[in-house]
Amino acid sequence: MALAPLDESITLDQLSSDPYPIYRRLRAESPVLRVAATGRTLLTKAALTKAVKENPELFSSDDPHTPMKPAFRAHTLMRKDGQAHFVERKAISKALTPKMIKTDWGPLYEQLAEEYVARLPRGETVDLFSELCGPLAARILAHILGIPEANDEQMQRWSQVLIDGAGNFGWKPELFAASDAANDEMDALFAALEPKRRAEPDGSAYSVMLNADDPIPMSQIYSNIKIAIGGGINEPRDALATIVYGLLTNPDQLAEVRAQEAWDKAFEEGIRWVAPIQVSSRRALEDTELGGCDILKGDTVMTVQASANRDEEIYEDGENFFVFRDKNPHQAFGNGPHHCAGAHVARRTVGKIILPMLFDRFPNMTLPDPEAVIWKGFGFRGPINLPVVLN
Amino acid sequence: MIKVTYVAQDGTATTIEAEEGTSVMQAAVSNDLDGIVGECGGSMMCATCHCYVDEAWAERTGERSSDEEEMLEGAADEVTERSRLSCQIRLQPGLDGLVVHLPEEQL
Ligand code: HEM
Ligand code: FES
Repeated sequence: MALAPLDESITLDQLSSDPYPIYRRLRAESPVLRVAATGRTLLTKAALTKAVKENPELFSSDDPHTPMKPAFRAHTLMRKDGQAHFVERKAISKALTPKMIKTDWGPLYEQLAEEYVARLPRGETVDLFSELCGPLAARILAHILGIPEANDEQMQRWSQVLIDGAGNFGWKPELFAASDAANDEMDALFAALEPKRRAEPDGSAYSVMLNADDPIPMSQIYSNIKIAIGGGINEPRDALATIVYGLLTNPDQLAEVRAQEAWDKAFEEGIRWVAPIQVSSRRALEDTELGGCDILKGDTVMTVQASANRDEEIYEDGENFFVFRDKNPHQAFGNGPHHCAGAHVARRTVGKIILPMLFDRFPNMTLPDPEAVIWKGFGFRGPINLPVVLN
Repeated sequence: MIKVTYVAQDGTATTIEAEEGTSVMQAAVSNDLDGIVGECGGSMMCATCHCYVDEAWAERTGERSSDEEEMLEGAADEVTERSRLSCQIRLQPGLDGLVVHLPEEQL
């Protein structure tokens, strides 16, 4: 066999402005492709991305040289395998289960969403992305994590700085300086809140981790919270903006979603259509083979879930937003042991609470100029603005 | 091949044949059965493969591990003494004809 073909024409700019036509071509022509601009082997078919993520013995999440380490000042669970991952994951998962979210947190989320939606001005053009999607995601997350003392601005800034640091493959010092400053702020806040979260246990992630029978080390409790800050704001924000866009540009579907109260379906379709986290990386621990190409020990493969989610083998007309699909086995939350720990939180808050509320309060919301919406991103993707008129 | 029957809340029963060694979750997912989601692919990380083992089979499917127990606590639907994560039940000849019941919701 031979190595995957090498592409030297695809650029990061192309991938960031609109990767979908490229992915479509790759699914048809070369689903395993070394793309020079990314330094990785891109996998664009659903069966391949799933197989890799569900085989952690062969495809490791651990990257000893990840910029995530300096950015988070820790080796986080996202980059661990096996038992080490399981222990840390279990510690935070307990606060994020379907049951916990439904029974313990549901009413609070509802109230927060109510407050933030009520603040929006009627009859004006509003950038829903910056006025609602970001701040509300930040507020809800602050409560889930047990750090509601952090304000929306801090949460959103920390999140962005952590993400920028984790993606700092060029090792630019100013990005790590920014993440260091944010880490100082977070560490100080966590330390200040610790006695209270111990003394008055609640269902928040911090409290659950601190008060566990067999707690994980303090450093890992901190890094778990930071991972959730980094991974729990932009994705629901981008998901919400994507879904609102999809519904407003497809009024027939919106009418049907309303009639059937199919908001959860709209949620799943939105994140299928434009996955907020588009790609993930795994490192081969042995020489192996994928889709007829050799993969060498040490190679990094990139699972492109954004592309898997539009795979012709699974979806008819996958390029378009269509809520009422028979089946929607998308991979937007990933697969395997690193499957998103916040999936239930995101489903409930965005799909069950925020979307219905928003369209209920503003039944005649419009997007006057869909062309004005700018989409961006290779690793993470979504609209970066959403100018709607609220009525 | 080993047969498993999945009974939905409305009583609809679906029987699937799968190879020995497959999990009850995998058998369902690879046959596109509604009612088992199995998002984490069997890594005990998602609790979306919850099922209730039929009383007649409870002895033979074995005990749940403490890790399974903990994850199960988070399942969306009611957890009973029959509850299992279906990714943790492996099909073997002794389980031919196994019957499991599906919860109302997984998410
Ligand atoms: C629509 C919203 C969301 C999407 C699409 C999403 C997507 C993802 C994906 C694809 C991964 C896997 C990355 C990999 O395989 O390497 C992941 C992991 C993770 N997500 Fe999410 N996420 C969302 C919301 C959230 C929220 C709200 C939280 C926090 C409450 C969260 C916390 C996490 C954590 C902690 C991990 C790491 C899990 C691990 O490595 O075991 N996510 N997410
Ligand atoms: S498939 Fe996720 S816990 Fe069983």
